Amino acid sequence: MHLRKNIPLIMLVLTIAAVPLTVSDPYYLTMLIFIGIYAIATMGLNLLMGYAGQISLGHAAFFALGAYVPAILTTRYEIPCIAAAALAVLLAAAVAYVIGLPCLRLKGHYLAMGTLAFGEIIHIVLNAEVELTGGPSGIAGIPMLGIGSLYADTDIKYFLVVWILFVLLFVLSRNIINSRPGRALQALHGSEQAASAMGIDVAGMKLMVFVLSAAYAALAGVLYVHFVAFISPGAGDIVFSIRMVTMVVVGGMGHLWGGLLGAALLTVLPEMLSYFEDYDMLIYGGILLVMVMFLPGGLTQGFERLRAALRKKRDSA
Amino acid sequence: MTIENTIVHIRDISKNFGGLAALQQVNITVQRGSITAVIGPNGAGKTTLINVLSGFLLPDNGSISLNNTVITGKKGHVITRLGMARTFQTAQVFGTMSVLENVMVGRYARTRAGLAGAALRLPGVLAEERATRARALELLDLVGLTDQAPLPAASIPIGSQRLLEIARALASDPQVLLLDEPAAGLNTQETRLLGELLQTIKKQGITIVLVEHDMELVMDISDDIAVLNFGQNIARGTPAEIQTNPDVIAVYLGED
Repeated sequence: MHLRKNIPLIMLVLTIAAVPLTVSDPYYLTMLIFIGIYAIATMGLNLLMGYAGQISLGHAAFFALGAYVPAILTTRYEIPCIAAAALAVLLAAAVAYVIGLPCLRLKGHYLAMGTLAFGEIIHIVLNAEVELTGGPSGIAGIPMLGIGSLYADTDIKYFLVVWILFVLLFVLSRNIINSRPGRALQALHGSEQAASAMGIDVAGMKLMVFVLSAAYAALAGVLYVHFVAFISPGAGDIVFSIRMVTMVVVGGMGHLWGGLLGAALLTVLPEMLSYFEDYDMLIYGGILLVMVMFLPGGLTQGFERLRAALRKKRDSA
Repeated sequence: MTIENTIVHIRDISKNFGGLAALQQVNITVQRGSITAVIGPNGAGKTTLINVLSGFLLPDNGSISLNNTVITGKKGHVITRLGMARTFQTAQVFGTMSVLENVMVGRYARTRAGLAGAALRLPGVLAEERATRARALELLDLVGLTDQAPLPAASIPIGSQRLLEIARALASDPQVLLLDEPAAGLNTQETRLLGELLQTIKKQGITIVLVEHDMELVMDISDDIAVLNFGQNIARGTPAEIQTNPDVIAVYLGED
């Protein structure tokens, strides 16, 4: 029973272990690293959207905070990157708390509006505060990720760092979902009134998961900046925020695998479509449109339908 | 009716919605360990009373105390923690979660596992999780839903969803259970079983306040009945007293 439930995770771990032995093309490795980074950010966003039923339209800002804090601290102050990373995640969580506190006391999509405004503010600050952030030209020369004398200095090593973190966070997130706070989150998604009648502080619970999701996004930002070694304000703009929301919706809201599937599809698809040159965005939009129409529950819903169909076929055979 | 024996004291509660006076200076005392029914025609303010009692609505005037502590103005989740749990008129189960998980959510107010403990599966959290599951199974057994435990809550019949709501509310170890029309949509047989279940719950020492339209059920199980009409209490007494009260008869049969 337990083993059965863990099959997808075991398969993922085996795949991760196989990549260093089989993939050597830097193009594919880079793509896999980006998928892992986005998957971490969208896993957090999925906890917020899929379980607490709240939308953040400013998650790129937390990603950007997670990227800029280590960029500034490691290039100017020579702070060890692990300490800088921890500070970045804590700062993003603290900022999320301050933004979420007023927004989540109100019923309705105030969080969407509040985070939209917040994202824009961060984007403007990143462009305008040239002394601190380098302005539109950004910050370059960010050192490699490492502890002491251990560095993630090859793509393979970086791939392993990102994906081991993903698996770790996946297990932690799954533990949360199958526990008291996780059940409270799911309850709130079912009926806020009934959740409140169970003794659940609805606003407090939403705030908690919002802060958690911001921390995931910031961690993804940290991983991004040390890999690319460069950061500019584009990382914090609304287009990226909406892309993250799209990854969650296309992947499958309220399903922990959804974030990963959405991140994978939305990273790979544009690359594949570049073959069509000028028409790529048109086809990209068309694919997303068709997916939302026929698979409103996202890719995870597609997998569940497939599994149900296979089981039916097996039972009738 | 001694004061020490009063568990819920409703004093001069008024609630207006725009120009409509849903409750006008309602006074009700609920005896510890009793089944107290609130009856009245449609629009008499019964559900409003439940919503005010459970902290879902703020009254314009008056106060409510539970165990001699004033709870007026406290939020719904706080009132549940203080020992008063409720069900809803239209069953509000957590549809995608299993029947068992629904009852486990009900344990929220009496458990402690936090985010970090849950994420890391600390031993204390696992022990609490096992206790939560065991208690939830006990309650499902009490309401007769053991067989449905693994099913998604949205997939079970309405009658079962109502029982599930009762089990879920009981999971918070309430001293007072507020039931908003628990028999609505139940057939005669189901209503009879509900009556027996409520008697069993009462025997466990839990006070029940119910709003109900099914007069047979109300007269059968209630110790005490309060009658509301247009937001005012017009009568108070035992089932026998209420059945012979001329004001109540006038309200229910129409007065000319």
